[in-house]
Formats: sequence, structure tokens, C-alpha cells
Amino acid sequence: MALIEVKGLAKVFQVDGQMVEALAGIDLAIEEGEIFGVIGLSGAGKSTFIRCLNRLETPSSGTVLVGGRDLSTLAREELRGFRRNMGMIFQSFNLLSSRTVAGNVAFSLEVAGKGRAAAKARVAELLEMVGLSDKAGAYPAQLSGGQKQRVGIARALALSPKILLCDEATSSLDPQTTSSILALIGDLKSRLGLTVVLITHEMKVITEICDRVAVLESGRLVETGRVIDVFSSPGHPTSKKFVESVHPSFDQLLRGSFRPKGRLVRIFYVGETVTEPLVYTLVKRFDVEPNILQAHLDVISNQTSGTLLIDLAGQSGAIDAALGFIRTSNVSFEVLN
Amino acid sequence: MILNSTQLAMLKVSSLQSLYMVSVSSLLTSLFGIPLGIMVVITRNGHILENKFLYRVLGFIINATRSIPFPIFIVFVIPLTRLVVGTAIGPTAVIVPLTLAAIVFMARLTETSLLEVPSGIIEAAQSIGASRWQIVWHVLLPEARPGLIMSVTITVITLISYSAMAGAVGGGGLGDLAIRYGYQRYQTDIMWVTVILLLLLVQGIQILGDRLVKKYSRR
Ligand SMILES: Nc1ncnc2c1ncn2[C@@H]1O[C@H](COP(=O)(O)OP(=O)(O)OP(=O)(O)O)[C@@H](O)[C@H]1O
Ligand SMILES: [Mg+2]
Repeated sequence: MALIEVKGLAKVFQVDGQMVEALAGIDLAIEEGEIFGVIGLSGAGKSTFIRCLNRLETPSSGTVLVGGRDLSTLAREELRGFRRNMGMIFQSFNLLSSRTVAGNVAFSLEVAGKGRAAAKARVAELLEMVGLSDKAGAYPAQLSGGQKQRVGIARALALSPKILLCDEATSSLDPQTTSSILALIGDLKSRLGLTVVLITHEMKVITEICDRVAVLESGRLVETGRVIDVFSSPGHPTSKKFVESVHPSFDQLLRGSFRPKGRLVRIFYVGETVTEPLVYTLVKRFDVEPNILQAHLDVISNQTSGTLLIDLAGQSGAIDAALGFIRTSNVSFEVLN
Repeated sequence: MILNSTQLAMLKVSSLQSLYMVSVSSLLTSLFGIPLGIMVVITRNGHILENKFLYRVLGFIINATRSIPFPIFIVFVIPLTRLVVGTAIGPTAVIVPLTLAAIVFMARLTETSLLEVPSGIIEAAQSIGASRWQIVWHVLLPEARPGLIMSVTITVITLISYSAMAGAVGGGGLGDLAIRYGYQRYQTDIMWVTVILLLLLVQGIQILGDRLVKKYSRR
């Protein structure tokens, strides 16, 4: 059974008598040990969704099962205990400005009633884990964004939760810091056996660490699948837009002065096939001139993948034969014109 | 020296009376005003103890009390003062209206300070399973500490000026002295000395407050 099961989850907000449907029937299952990403534009309902998972938000209808327990059946006290199984980090870090780094991490332990001596050792261990041992006595105002998020992570993981919820945890960080925080999350996930739910509006974040992704639009899931599948063949216009945010789309390329000589073919390779010399074979075996317009190598969910855009020129018979060959090889492809 | 020994003795008694009124009412005001401010904040819509009814009732009481001018308020609460202190005249009696008026003032200032604590920090505390009490004690109050210190400072200074006003209606203290001798009997030197003493007191408290705010500001 999935660790987190969401069924028919809906949330309607009342704003000045107006109904705002933030979530409109979400069905989703998140497996233990995976990094599950939810991507969507601003206002899509991402925060509302993730807040329903630890019941910071009360759903209007639908159920959320975590480890088989229906969150709506928990009384206030039970819910408090339950939340300790789920750490959460935030876009704005939300650290206590009046406490030092160590004090912020210790807060989680104090809340759970841990003794001072035990807490002290645990705080040191946690700060070591996120690489902030030398900042124990600093106040949040003296830290960089990346360091603040590391404190957030240490605080979230202090009570050894099984699940880590990340609400746009890297959205206010620069690309390099984003990568280092994502790497830390990925590393902690494997070391501690966490299940991570991560929401973002950046496809790069999804491709960098997620195993599966759900695309959220106006409170509805428009696509759910393995990141590599959604990346290679997005099944919804919104998903496609997100994929294109990583690499410029071909439509965008065509907006320039470029005009193709033959057929525009986009080829997507995964894993082993990356090392096959496909273009070389095309030239050797068929009478075609593949012109490479764009090539990318990406690492998606720890798998190497490549995207190749070629302009395949030549006699139409030769082109058809070449396309036939591509079809039989172990790649996915798409003819764009 | 411009003041004779009788005047000096009067000044001493009046100063001590003022200090007594201001310190006792400051203490009582903080003791009740801050919790009242906390209640107003946490019973708000979407806050940790959301309660529309209580929020409205508290808001009404605070506004109603604040809308009465202080000299009238003193007279208005005389029955209560008699009940609590046994008399309506003298420094101890004055503490009752002083405290009541300042509590609601303090509550509003507390409210403003606490509302400045970002809601995200409260959510972060909820996400690790903090109780409502823990959120008030470990999140709201420490995070709002500089603002609260400033609120107490402003309240104490207001109490000094209120206590001088109260003096005029039989409360004793420096205000009483200034009016009776400085104004009614034309002893302007006494007036000057009381004004200077009050000024020093207010300045001293402001400086102390500012220092504490600086010490606890971490943002
Ligand atoms: N507490 C609330 N009261 C009223 N409306 C809300 C509330 N929270 C969210 N909404 C509305 O619900 C919708 C979804 O909001 P949500 O914050 O979940 O979006 P999001 O995908 O997280 O956006 P962003 O990327 O900007 O954070 C929006 O239309 C928003 O205005
Ligand atoms: Mg959001």
C-alpha cells in the first residue's frame, strides 16, 4: 500500500463571499521511499495540496491517508503527535528570528518534550548532518538563504520523521544554492529512508531529484507519471510548457530565421541508448543528411538521458527509410513538421 | 536653593506617591494587558484559537473603554474603586482607574506587536506538532519581544501622564502638587521642579526601553 493516499481531495476557500476552488478532486498515491514532485504555476493549488497532507489545511472533501490512517479521524492531540512523523520546510524558511540556529533546531525537540541533555546531543548531530556545525550560535538574520534552509531541514528532521514535505523549498534560492539544497535532500532521503513530497514551479527541480511528478493546473492533476516519461513525452500542454522551460521549444527555435531543409525530428534517449551512435548510423546506412540543431544531455531521476533535434534532409524515400530505422531503435521520437 | 525645606518635603512625598502609582499600575497593566492582547490576536479568524464571539466581545470592551476620556473614566469607575480599595481618594485608589484604562491600551499595543509575527513561523511550529500554548509561549511572545518591550515603554510613559492627570482629581503625586502649588498658589518654582522631574522620569524610561529593544532585536 502506498504511504500517502489522496482520494478525491478538494478544497474550496470562501473569500468575501466568493468561492475559490483551490483543489478540485485530487487522486494520488505516493509510495514509500520515493521523491514525489508536484509542479504547477502560481495559484495552481500546490501549497494548498501539500498543507492538506499534514492538515495545516482542512480539506473541504476527500480523504488523505498517511500510513493507512485517515487524518480526518485524528483528534487535535493525536494530530500533533502525528505531525511529528512529517517534517516540513518552506520557501520563506520560517525560522524563529529570536533563537539561534541551535535554538531553532532544539525547538522541535522541546515541543516533543525531550530533555535538555538529550536535545543538545541531537542538535549537534543534526547540525553536522546539514553541514552547519560552525553556525550553531548564529541568529537566522546572520545566515544566507541556503544556510537558513539547512536550518529548516535540520528542524524538520529533528524528530526523525518518515516524510519530508517541501513547499517551494528552493524557490527563493539561486540556481547553485538550489542544487546544493536538492542534493542535500536527496542524500538525506537515501540515508534516512525518507519519503519526500516536493512542490515547485521549476521543472529543473523536478528533473534534478524527483522520481515521479504530478502536474497541477487550476486545482486538477493533468498528468502524473515517472519524471523521465513526462519529460520525454509530456501528455498535456501544461506539462509540455514545463518541459520546454528546461530546453527551448522547437516552436521557439522556428521563430528565428531558421527554416528546416527536411523533416524535423526530436529524439529522446534514456540510459544505455545514450551511448548508441544513432546519427552516425543514419548517415552510414541511409542516404540522408542529418543536421543536428540541438542536443542536450540531462540526468533525470539519476538516469542519463539525451534530447536531440535533427533536421533530416534528403530524398523522401531515404527519409522514410531513416525514420523507419529510428522507429525500430530503442529511443522515443517525434516528427515535428 | 530656591525651594525651602517644606517644599522639599512635599516634593519628596509627591515623588514617592507618583512612583508608587506608576510602578504598581505598570505591573498590573502588563500582567493583564499582555494576556488580553494575546487573546485578541489568537481568537482572530484563522489564528490558533479562532473564536468569532470572543474576538468581537473583547474588541468591543477595549474600544468602549478607550473611547472614554481619562478624567471622566476616573469618575465613572469610582463605585468599583470604592469596592476594591475602600476609598476613591489617594494614590492607591487612583491605581484602579489607571490600571483599567492602561490595560486596554496595552492590549491594543500587544495586538499590533503580535500581528507582526509572520504566520509562516506559526505554521512551522504547528508542522512540528507544537500546541497552542507552546506557540504562544515559544513563538509569539519571543518573536514579538522587541515590539512588546516598546509597548510596555509607551504604556508606562502614558501611565506617568495619566497619573499626573489623576493627581488633579485627588490622587496625590507630582501632578497634584504642580496644580495645587504651581498653578493655584502661584509657586512657579515648584511647578518647574515637578515638570523637570516628570521629564527626567519619562526620558529615563524611554532610554531604558530603547536599550532593551536594541538588545533583543534579531531581525
Ligand atoms: N487561505 C486562503 N484563503 C483564500 N484563498 C486561498 C487561501 N489559500 C489559497 N487560496 C487560493 O487558492 C488558490 C491556490 O492557492 P495556493 O497557495 O495553493 O497556490 P500555489 O500553487 O501554492 O501558488 P504559489 O506558487 O503562488 O505559491 C489561489 O487561488 C489562492 O488565492
Ligand atoms: Mg504556494
